[in-house]
Amino acid sequence: MLFTQLSVLITAGVLIIIGLLAAIFIDNIIKKIIGIAFIEEGVNLFIIAIGYRPGGIVPIIMPNVDKAYYAANAAYPLPFGLVLTSIVIGASTLAVMLALAMVLYKKYGTLSTSVMLSGNSKGEGKDE
Amino acid sequence: MSELWIPLMVVIPLICALFVSALSRFNKTIKVIALVVAIVIPIIPFLSNYGLHIFGGFLPMTDSITGMVYHPSIVYSFGVLQKIFIVILGILAFLVLLIYINKYKKASGPYIFLLFMGIAAVTALLLTDDIFNMFVFFEILALAQVGIVAASSLDNNYEMALKYMILGAIGSPMILLGVGFLLAITGSVNITDIVAAIRMGKVAITSPVFLMSCGLIFFGWLYASGLPPFHTIKSGMYSKAEPHASALLQAFTVISMVSIILIMFRIYSAVPIFEALLVVFSAIAMILGVTMALTQTDYRRMIGFLAVGELGFIGLGIGLGTQFAITAGLFQAVNEIIITASLFIGFGAIAYLSGETDTRKMGGLIGYYPKIAILVLISGLAMAGVPPLNGFQSKLMLVQASLSCGYPELSLLAIIVSIATFVVFVKAFYTMFLRPKPNTLKISNKKAPKSMVFAMVVFLIIIIVLGFFPGIVTTGISQFAGGLL
Repeated sequence: MLFTQLSVLITAGVLIIIGLLAAIFIDNIIKKIIGIAFIEEGVNLFIIAIGYRPGGIVPIIMPNVDKAYYAANAAYPLPFGLVLTSIVIGASTLAVMLALAMVLYKKYGTLSTSVMLSGNSKGEGKDE
Repeated sequence: MSELWIPLMVVIPLICALFVSALSRFNKTIKVIALVVAIVIPIIPFLSNYGLHIFGGFLPMTDSITGMVYHPSIVYSFGVLQKIFIVILGILAFLVLLIYINKYKKASGPYIFLLFMGIAAVTALLLTDDIFNMFVFFEILALAQVGIVAASSLDNNYEMALKYMILGAIGSPMILLGVGFLLAITGSVNITDIVAAIRMGKVAITSPVFLMSCGLIFFGWLYASGLPPFHTIKSGMYSKAEPHASALLQAFTVISMVSIILIMFRIYSAVPIFEALLVVFSAIAMILGVTMALTQTDYRRMIGFLAVGELGFIGLGIGLGTQFAITAGLFQAVNEIIITASLFIGFGAIAYLSGETDTRKMGGLIGYYPKIAILVLISGLAMAGVPPLNGFQSKLMLVQASLSCGYPELSLLAIIVSIATFVVFVKAFYTMFLRPKPNTLKISNKKAPKSMVFAMVVFLIIIIVLGFFPGIVTTGISQFAGGLL
């Protein structure tokens, strides 16, 4: 496997692991959501790395490009299309999570998920 | 009759969702649009031919070197199984909307938007032959479910919505990562192409990448289905939504579970441990669902856990992997949608009339609401698998399937879980309806909403008809299961 592709895949793996650790172990809801964003971006990076082709050209057929040359050198376009959709979905998910976090912050006066999700104390807990 | 109706099964609820959201200021208009579209949804499958719809008209291409066929665009596949589930979903959606519109003088456009988005998403999950498209609609469905729970006026609904969202935000990327692995080794996201690549030996089924993709998508499926370890969050979601919405949410869960499990079955059935994994998780769900239901005092959580146990029966049937067992599992899925919806609406009517959801504080309600009590009783008996109701037919088929596959212990488990379900239901029914009324319980003079009673009567008719004539759906499902193997 090429060094570039391998390094991107390793970066994606590190992002996913950091994100998972943050989403599971950090109590602060905003940091948890940032961790979730890390997971999503790590997965997107992984899919982009699949479409990588060394020395490849952008997979758009330009008017002057020879079709045989294009077929031999163009990067695989499908992963890019998938990632574009995935980014949109990720943005929607983050927006909904942040909106829920805002509502719960107003209700509890804290960003601590352990306080928010226990659902029985109001305005108590750390604001960190 | 044309295949052009196939995409319309998804497009019509999607467009309706956008319209009701945009026109939310016009109360009567959105009510009429919602009801008309809800009537149209179960009719479209009867207008459509069985077959494929290829989006964009990009026909399959054949690789001149390998001889493999590639599908360059998204494909929807419509068959008898999809027809059965979409019709059932459409009937349920109509009844749920009828209850909602009757209950609230001022209908909420965004709320109806969420209901229709959910309906469109599960329909697309059923139809799609593209694994990335499955992921997209899986996410839309998760967002719609969260929105429906957040829109309810019950205590701690936002907390539950956030909890579900956080778990979903971990589960969904895992599915996407699994899709990415499949794309890396097959070069396609079309399920037919992936299956062809596996059958032609282009993918080693024991390769770590393939097994990793199986594990990741399986994890996402557990989340979507609310099977262990996600069983508590799913029953929590049901308990924080309004009863009619819970009825629809559980249908979403069952259909998304069935859709994803069938996709996984097509791709991973050759993996030696796949079917064993399905059976193990299903058995755990059956045991945990019914034991946790025994300890519940809130009827909504009780039904939620019972629903999780019933999901285990579906997984068990499909996990056994024979034509008869898959037919039994899918028939159980159809039955569960109807029975659980009926129970949520029935108990919801009681909660509406008594203002109480804690079974310990109820009693003597049969004297006040005999019609609802009878309807709830029959639905509960159907869930427990009492003859001659539809739940009995599917559970009997599952017991027979387990025996014919050489697993008498699974048959025994299915029978024990059915008996335990019966005990849970009888205990709840006795507590709520039969024992003397506690002095603290205040009965209002309100009458049960006619729309709720009407919905339950419709479900009751389906329960009895499918109990006496299971062939109405099992014949078609059996054909589908035969084609799957």
